[in-house]
Amino acid sequence: MTSAVRNLYADFIRTFGNILFAVSLFVIWGILTLIGVIVDQGKAPSAYYASYAAPVARAILRLDFNNVYHSWWYVGIIALILTSLAVCTFKRVIPARLPALRPVKIEAIPLHATIDVASPVESVRGSVERFFAQRGFLVRNRDFGGVEWSFADKQNWARRGVLIAHLGFVIIAAGTTLYWAFGFSGVTAILTGQTVTIPRSGATIHLDRFRYRIDPIATKTGIVYQPIDYVSHVTASGKDGVARPYTIRVNHPINIDGTNYYQSSYGFAVRFALLHNGRFVSLSAPLYAGDTLKIPDTSRSIEFLRFVPTMDPQTKMPSPDPRIGNPAVALSLIQSGTSEGAALVLMHRTVDVGDGWSVRPQRYLMFTGLQYRYDPGVALVGIGAFVLLVGLIVSFYFLPARFYVRVDPHGDGAKVGLAATTVKGYDIFAEEFGALVERLRTALQSGG
Amino acid sequence: MTHGMPVDEILLVIAIASYIIGALALFGFFLSRVPFLRNLGATLAIIGAVAQFAQLVARYEISHIWPLLNLYGSLSLFSAMSVAIFVIFAFRYRLWFAGGFVLALAAMFLTYGVTWNEGVMPPVPSLQSYWAKVHVPIVVTSYAAFLVSFVISALYLTRYYVERRRGAAMMLSASVEADASGGATATLAGPNDGVSGWLASLPTLPQLDVLVYRSVAVGLPLLTLGIITGAMWAKEAWGAYWQWDPKETAALFSWIIYAAYMHLHTRNQWRGLRTSWVSVIGFISIIFCYLGVNIWISGLHSYKV
Ligand code: HEM
Repeated sequence: MTSAVRNLYADFIRTFGNILFAVSLFVIWGILTLIGVIVDQGKAPSAYYASYAAPVARAILRLDFNNVYHSWWYVGIIALILTSLAVCTFKRVIPARLPALRPVKIEAIPLHATIDVASPVESVRGSVERFFAQRGFLVRNRDFGGVEWSFADKQNWARRGVLIAHLGFVIIAAGTTLYWAFGFSGVTAILTGQTVTIPRSGATIHLDRFRYRIDPIATKTGIVYQPIDYVSHVTASGKDGVARPYTIRVNHPINIDGTNYYQSSYGFAVRFALLHNGRFVSLSAPLYAGDTLKIPDTSRSIEFLRFVPTMDPQTKMPSPDPRIGNPAVALSLIQSGTSEGAALVLMHRTVDVGDGWSVRPQRYLMFTGLQYRYDPGVALVGIGAFVLLVGLIVSFYFLPARFYVRVDPHGDGAKVGLAATTVKGYDIFAEEFGALVERLRTALQSGG
Repeated sequence: MTHGMPVDEILLVIAIASYIIGALALFGFFLSRVPFLRNLGATLAIIGAVAQFAQLVARYEISHIWPLLNLYGSLSLFSAMSVAIFVIFAFRYRLWFAGGFVLALAAMFLTYGVTWNEGVMPPVPSLQSYWAKVHVPIVVTSYAAFLVSFVISALYLTRYYVERRRGAAMMLSASVEADASGGATATLAGPNDGVSGWLASLPTLPQLDVLVYRSVAVGLPLLTLGIITGAMWAKEAWGAYWQWDPKETAALFSWIIYAAYMHLHTRNQWRGLRTSWVSVIGFISIIFCYLGVNIWISGLHSYKV
């Protein structure tokens, strides 16, 4: 390695191994995350120009803030966090959390004490060891240049809590990467009686029937129409080609060959009869909201705006009741690309659209909206989440602490010097340290 | 009382009244250290929380509908849990003097929750899930723990800044004394007046810091578990465990802040003053995630349908 490369490497390690740098990355990650909460995601560019001043909208689109979670910023910051995590693990966490057994300057450690005992050094050393061992400490002795030190570790195993939490985070990241690499998802609408082949999964699904239940409920602010149930009865076949009946409802997805299918929405499509001079000409394909139907030989078309399950007979307006009563469709007449106005037309009523042409909403069909998703990373994400949680609990609820003890001859007896460190500073252990030292003092001085 | 209020409303009134009177008593204790006020406040805190839990049970008994799935229910649980967690901390760590703040906040959130009471409504299909029943209490309990850490951090900061001001004042008074030999010092806050006695009766800054840490250590694993159970529920209801819905994303934001708190807390120079500020910011983000997102930003999670 040339010295320039070595310097670069040293700088990299120093930067990525710095916990304040890691926290700065967290802050950026947090800010990017928050941007996605505040700025609507995944809308058409025009929507941003409609809600923000032009320069702000331009900035949002330039910086990908309209799709921030899939932007390079977002993926990049997580990659930097993982890099920093890796460097910190080897350069900082392991050395700090699993420190070697070394002598220390006892008075330099804030939690320290000395106990004078009248007994000989060897017996005191034995008593001290027993004292800590009885309390569940791991006691180890080492000789450093003729001075014998005892190291008593409390909950030593819990020093690995941070590593476990970090490992959990890495496993979650691996699971989400698996989905990015191999997973897929999408939505599909299936009309009653229709069969759809799902892209990539290859499954075919036939919608036999869709049912929904919505109840009117009197609340303090008036009637609310509360959805109670959405159910799709389907016949589906997977790779084995065998057709089987399934029921899909919210919170009860089905699984075909590892891909899950969920109930996500529903709606109505409408077939229109086209008439010329009062005579039936043709029946349109089912139109979904937003679809248009061209009127032959003219520059006009009608746009099917939406299906209205029930029209209020008095006001002639859509009723808020989403259940089927007096169904109608909202239509807009479009002349050379511009809307000439909208109207609410009851089912089976004919409306004149000029030049002898008329249209009639003839039939409505329900469709179910299914979301499908193949995610090979789910199990890893689940395991990672569990590992992360275990790591957090170990880190927060078990406090590894180390006592450094040396027993020196002092007059006729011995002097015990003690100091303690923990992985979370000294304040958190101050009371327990004081109490343990007092108990040790009593034990040594009364035990003789 | 045959034509009186339904039992759940009676319990609600008991809870709010206990919190308000309890808050006054504990504020009194905060300033005066009269033990009677502490005992009164502690008793009322316990009565209020018990009344609230009984109220939630009563609502379930009356309607047979899980009472936590709207903003009213979840705010009720939030205030009850905040008081419950605080009571546990207060018993363990002699923290009663801070109770006035917790009870006042609990009364405020509970009263605000009542304004969202629409009566009894069955849940929408996506909420009819086992996961919804476990997810909401876990998340709300984590918010409650963060409320307690917020109050303790606020006390930390108060103590820190009062001490600093007094430190400056003492230096100033010393110099005034030197200049004018007596006289002038009487008008400045001296070291032995009521305020110092009061300060001395608070836990020390390191002790307060440890308490903030301990309460965040209750909240963060719960928030993590809450996000995990929420993801499991989302997977069942909406097909994907994570959809970048504003609510889950706001929860992730709070999680990141508290994860930053935990990391900064491992550094000696950052522990205490700065981490207390991070805890305050964390709680603001929790309130944004809890209420702000529901009210200002619509998404899959919004309770208003
Ligand atoms: C940029 C990525 C990360 C880096 C560089 C990093 C680094 C560190 C370091 C250096 C420590 C302190 C070790 C010590 O002082 O002994 C630590 C502690 C810890 N980390 Fe991370 N970490 C990262 C991400 C995470 C994440 C995502 C979590 C999950 C919540 C996490 C959970 C913890 C926990 C629980 C502790 C122990 C805190 C305590 O005991 O008070 N870390 N981390």
